[in-house]
Amino acid sequence: MSRAANHAGPATDRFAGQRIPPTLVGLLWISPWLAGFALFMALPIALSLAYSLTDYPLLESPVWIGLDNYRALFSDPLFARVLLNTGLFTLMYVPASTALSILIAVLLNQRVPGLWAFRTAVYIPSLVPVVASAMIWLWLFNADLGLINLALRVLGLEGPNWLGSPAWALPALVIMSLWNIGQPVVVYLAALQDVPRPLLEAASLDGAGPLRRLWHVTLPMISPAILFNVIVTTINTLQVFAIPYIMTEGGPDNSTLMYSHYLYNNAFVYMKMGYASALAWVQFLVVLALTGVLWFASHGLVHYRAA
Amino acid sequence: MPAQRPANPREQPLPGRNAPLARAVILALLAAVALCYAAPLVWMISTSIKPEEQAISRDLRLLPDPPGSTPAHAASNYSAVWTDPSIDFPLYLRNSLLVALLGVTGMTLSTAVVAYGFARIRWRGRSFLFAIVLATMMIPFPVIMAPLYVIFAQLGWIGSLKPLWLPAWFGGAFHGAFNIFLLRQFYMGIPKELDEAARIDGCSHWGIFWRIILPLSRPALAVVALLYFTYLWNDFLGPLIFLNHRDQFTLALGLQLYQSKAGNTPWNLLMAASTMVVAPVLAIFFLTQRTFISGVAAEGLKE
Amino acid sequence: MSHAAITRRAAVGMLAAAGAGFALFGPRPDSDRAARGRLVIDYWEKWTGHEGRAMQHIVDRYNQSQDRAYVRYFAMAGIDQKSIVAIAGGNPPDIIGMGNFSVPAYAESGAIMPLDDLAAAHSITPDRYAPAVWPMLTHKGRLYAIVNTCGALALFYNRAAFRDAGLDPDAPPRTISELDACHERLVRQSADGRLERVGFLHMEPDWWTWHWGYYFGTSVLTPEGDAAADHPANIRAYQWARSYPQRLGVERTLRFQAGFGFYGTPQHPFLAGQVAMTNQGPWLANLINAYKPDMDYAVAPFPVHDDFYDPDQPAGLLDSDVLVIPRGARHPEEAFRFIAFTQQPENVEFLSAAHCKNSPLATSSADFLASHPNPFVRVHAAVASSPRAFIFPRMRTWEQYVAEFNAAMQRIWRGNAEPAAALAAVRRAGQSQIDEARAAAARRATARAGSSGGAGRGPGSAG
Repeated sequence: MSRAANHAGPATDRFAGQRIPPTLVGLLWISPWLAGFALFMALPIALSLAYSLTDYPLLESPVWIGLDNYRALFSDPLFARVLLNTGLFTLMYVPASTALSILIAVLLNQRVPGLWAFRTAVYIPSLVPVVASAMIWLWLFNADLGLINLALRVLGLEGPNWLGSPAWALPALVIMSLWNIGQPVVVYLAALQDVPRPLLEAASLDGAGPLRRLWHVTLPMISPAILFNVIVTTINTLQVFAIPYIMTEGGPDNSTLMYSHYLYNNAFVYMKMGYASALAWVQFLVVLALTGVLWFASHGLVHYRAA
Repeated sequence: MPAQRPANPREQPLPGRNAPLARAVILALLAAVALCYAAPLVWMISTSIKPEEQAISRDLRLLPDPPGSTPAHAASNYSAVWTDPSIDFPLYLRNSLLVALLGVTGMTLSTAVVAYGFARIRWRGRSFLFAIVLATMMIPFPVIMAPLYVIFAQLGWIGSLKPLWLPAWFGGAFHGAFNIFLLRQFYMGIPKELDEAARIDGCSHWGIFWRIILPLSRPALAVVALLYFTYLWNDFLGPLIFLNHRDQFTLALGLQLYQSKAGNTPWNLLMAASTMVVAPVLAIFFLTQRTFISGVAAEGLKE
Repeated sequence: MSHAAITRRAAVGMLAAAGAGFALFGPRPDSDRAARGRLVIDYWEKWTGHEGRAMQHIVDRYNQSQDRAYVRYFAMAGIDQKSIVAIAGGNPPDIIGMGNFSVPAYAESGAIMPLDDLAAAHSITPDRYAPAVWPMLTHKGRLYAIVNTCGALALFYNRAAFRDAGLDPDAPPRTISELDACHERLVRQSADGRLERVGFLHMEPDWWTWHWGYYFGTSVLTPEGDAAADHPANIRAYQWARSYPQRLGVERTLRFQAGFGFYGTPQHPFLAGQVAMTNQGPWLANLINAYKPDMDYAVAPFPVHDDFYDPDQPAGLLDSDVLVIPRGARHPEEAFRFIAFTQQPENVEFLSAAHCKNSPLATSSADFLASHPNPFVRVHAAVASSPRAFIFPRMRTWEQYVAEFNAAMQRIWRGNAEPAAALAAVRRAGQSQIDEARAAAARRATARAGSSGGAGRGPGSAG
C-alpha cells in the first residue's frame, strides 16, 4: 500500500514511468471502509430487501411470495400497536428531552460555584451501560420497595405500579430515558458557549432581560444545534430497543412493545425473517422520510450564521 | 500536556449583572437537577452494600445498619457476585475486555487510514463516497441486523466473538462513519505544508500518514478510541443477537442474564453486579474527561 | 496541572494495560481443561441454581462413568430462542433442554433430529413412561425428544389459613363452586380496605394463562388442530376467572398482586400467606421446604367444573422438559448416549426428586415416593397418570398463540375486555397464524417439488 500511495505527489514521484492514478490510490486508502460497507451495510440492505419478498423461516430456505409480507403488515394488529407505541414514545420523549437538556445546559452555562460537580452529575448517567441503567430503574420503579414510590410515600402520595401498569409503563420508560441526556446537554453547552458575547451584550444594553435574551438571541443562535439534535434524537428514539426489551419485555399488555423489539421478535424469536425484513424496510423508509421532513420543515426556523 | 488540546474557555457567563438572588435561584435549581441525576447511581451503590433484608426494607438509608458494618456487607455482596456460578463474572469481564481491546484497536487504526484517504489525497469520486459515509449514519441498525446474522453465519463467525469486533477493522463498518468524519476534520486542520516538506524528503503517503499525521492526531484518535470503547462496553443488542454460547457472553449480556425472568436474584446482588459493570466506564471518564467531552460535543455538532 | 495530567495519563495507561492483560490472559471456561482431549458434548439447559446443580450432578456422573466423551453443561435463561438462533447460525450445541411445547415448531422446521432409530437402539420405548408422556415427545408420528423431567399441576392449599377462615383443612375444594366458596371465606382485608389475603387468584402464577378451559372440559384446539379459544366452555372458564378481580375490585387486586414476592423467594405469596390456594407444580414444595419448612399445607387435584367432576379422574396440566438433538450437532450419537444415560431409572428418579417433581416413568420406586421432598407427590403422580391429564397443545404456532392468550388474559383480568370478545379475538388471531403456517408449509412443499434436483439451497443461504 505504501509504495502505491507514493505516486500521488508528482513532484517527488520516484516511479515516474508507472504512475498510479490518484483515484486508485484514494480507493486503496479507503478500501477497508469500502469492503466493510459492501459486506456489512450494502449487502445486508440488499438482502433485507430480497428477504422481505420471501417467506424465510431462517431454518429453511426462502420461498418467493412477492409483496405478501407488506400486505400482511396492514392486517397485523401488533404492527399497528408497535407503530402507535413507538410514535407515542417518540412524541413524549423528543420534546421533553430537548426542552430539559436545553434548560439544563442554560443553567450549567451560568457562573456559579460547584459547576464541575453539577456538570459531572448530569453527564455521568449517559455513560452507564444500558443494561445497568435498566437494572437500576427496575429497582427504582419497583411498586412496593422502589426508591421512587418510597419517596412519594414520604410526601404522602401513593405511587403507581409503574412498570406493571399499561397506563404507566410507557411514561415510566420516558422518565428513565430522560436520565440519559448527558450528550445533548454537552452539545448545547458547547453551542451556548459559541454564542457571540457582543450580541448578548447588545441585547442587554437594549434592555432585554435574561429570559428575553434567551428567547430572542440565544435560542435562535443555537438553533442549528437544536435541529441537529432533534433529528438525531428522533432517529435514535424510533429505534429504541434495549430499555423496553429488558425492563418490560414489551408488556404489560403490549403497552411498551416497540418497533425494533417487534422486528427482533419476528427475526429471532418467531424466525420470520421475511416478515422481519419487511418491517425493517418500513422502518428504514420511515426514518429516511422523517429525517427529510424534519430537515426541510425546519429550514425556515433555523438560524444559520454566515460561515 | 502536549497531546491535549487547549481547554475551551468554559466558564463563560451571560453578560450583565448576576444578581445574588438570581444566582441563588440558579444554584438551587442546579442542585435539584444534580440530585435527581445522581440519586439513581447513589441508590444503586447504597443498595449494593446492604444485606438483602435491609436492601428491601422501606427505610430510606444510605448505609447499612450499623454503618460500621458497611465494609463487611460490601465485601460479602461483591464477592458473592464475583464468584456466582450463574453469571461467571470473571469470564464475561474477560470477554468484554477482549472485544473492547480488539474492537477499539481495529476501529482506531482502520478509520485513521480511511480518513487519510478522504482528507489528504485528492481524487475523483472522493466527495461522493464521503457523502455515502455520512449517509450510512442514517441507517438504523435494526434494519440490517437480521441479514447480518445470516452473513456472519455464512462466514462461520457465529459461535465466536468475531461479529462484535471484526467489522470494526473494516473502517468501523456500521459504527465507523462518525469516526471517519471526526478524523477527516482533524486531518484537514493539519497544515498541508507538513506533507509537502515530507514529500520533498522522499516520504510516501504511508510515511506521511505514519510519521506526521498519526502522531499529530493523537487527541482525535483518543476521542475515537474512548467513544468506541464506551460504545462496545455498553452494547447490548449486538451481543444479544450474535452471541449464543454462554462462554462468550459479555458483561452487558451477563448482567441481563443475572436478572433472570423468574427474578430470583436479590436486589442487593443485582446492584452490586451493576456497579461492577458501571465502574470501568466511570473510571475512564474521570481520567479522560476533557478528551471525552470534546468528542461528545463534536459528535453533536457535526454540521 | 501538568503533573496531574501525567499521573492521569499513567493511570489510563495502567488501566488499559491491566484490561488488555486480563483480556488476553484472563480466565477461560474451566471445563475446557477438564475435557482433556475427550470428545466434547455441549449441552444447553435453562436450569440454573438448585435445579441446575442437580442436572450438573447427572452430567458429572456421566463424565466419570466413561472416558470417551465429556459433557459440558451450560445453563441460561431464554435458552429456546438462543438455541434456535444458534442452529440457524450453523453452530448449535449437541443437546438442548427445552420445554416440550417447542417440539412441534422445532420438528416442523427441521431444527431438531428425529430420534426413532437412536431410541430403538437404546431400547427407549413408550411403555417405560406414564401414558401422557410419549405424546409430548413426538410430532406427526416421529420421536423428536426424550423426557428429562415432568410435573403435574395440582392445588396447593394452606391448611392453617383454612382453619383461620373456619374451613375444614381436610376438605379441599373439589369443584369450581367449592373453590369459589373457599375463596370467599379466605378473603381478608385490613381496616383501610387493602387486601391481606385471598383464597385464590388465577394470575398467581400467570404462567399458564391458556389452560383454564381444560378444567371446564374443553381445550384450546379442535381435534383437527384449529383454534378453539372461544369454545363456550372456554368462555365460561374465563368469565369465572374474571369474576375474581371483579368481586375483589380490580384496582385493589392489581395493587395486591404488585406486592407479591417472586417465585424462588421467601416472599412468594403462597409462602407469605397472601394467597391461600394456588395451582402449581410439585416443585413448589421445594420452595416451602427451603423457606417455610413448618408450613401447614396440603395438595389436592385442582377443582374442575361441577358437571365435569369425577373423583377417579383428576384433571391437570402435565408439563415436561425434554432433551433434543439439534440439526447440525457435531456428535449426535455420542450425544444420545448421554441422553440414554439420563433415562436410567435411578437417574430419572434422582433428578425428579432433586427438582421436586413427579417421575415421568410408568412406575415409581417405593423409595422415590417415600423420600420425595414433596410429601404429596402421590397426588401429582395420580394427576399425571389420569386420563384427564392434559398436555400443551401440539402446534407449530404455539409461541404466537400463547402470546395472544397472555394478552387476552391481561385484558380480561383488568376488566378491559369481555371474555367472549377477547377469546374470539384470540381464536381469530390464532387461526390466522395456523392458516398462515399451513399455507407456508404447502408453498414450501411445492417449491421443493418444483426444484427437486435443482440447486439444493442450504438453509440461510446468503446468496
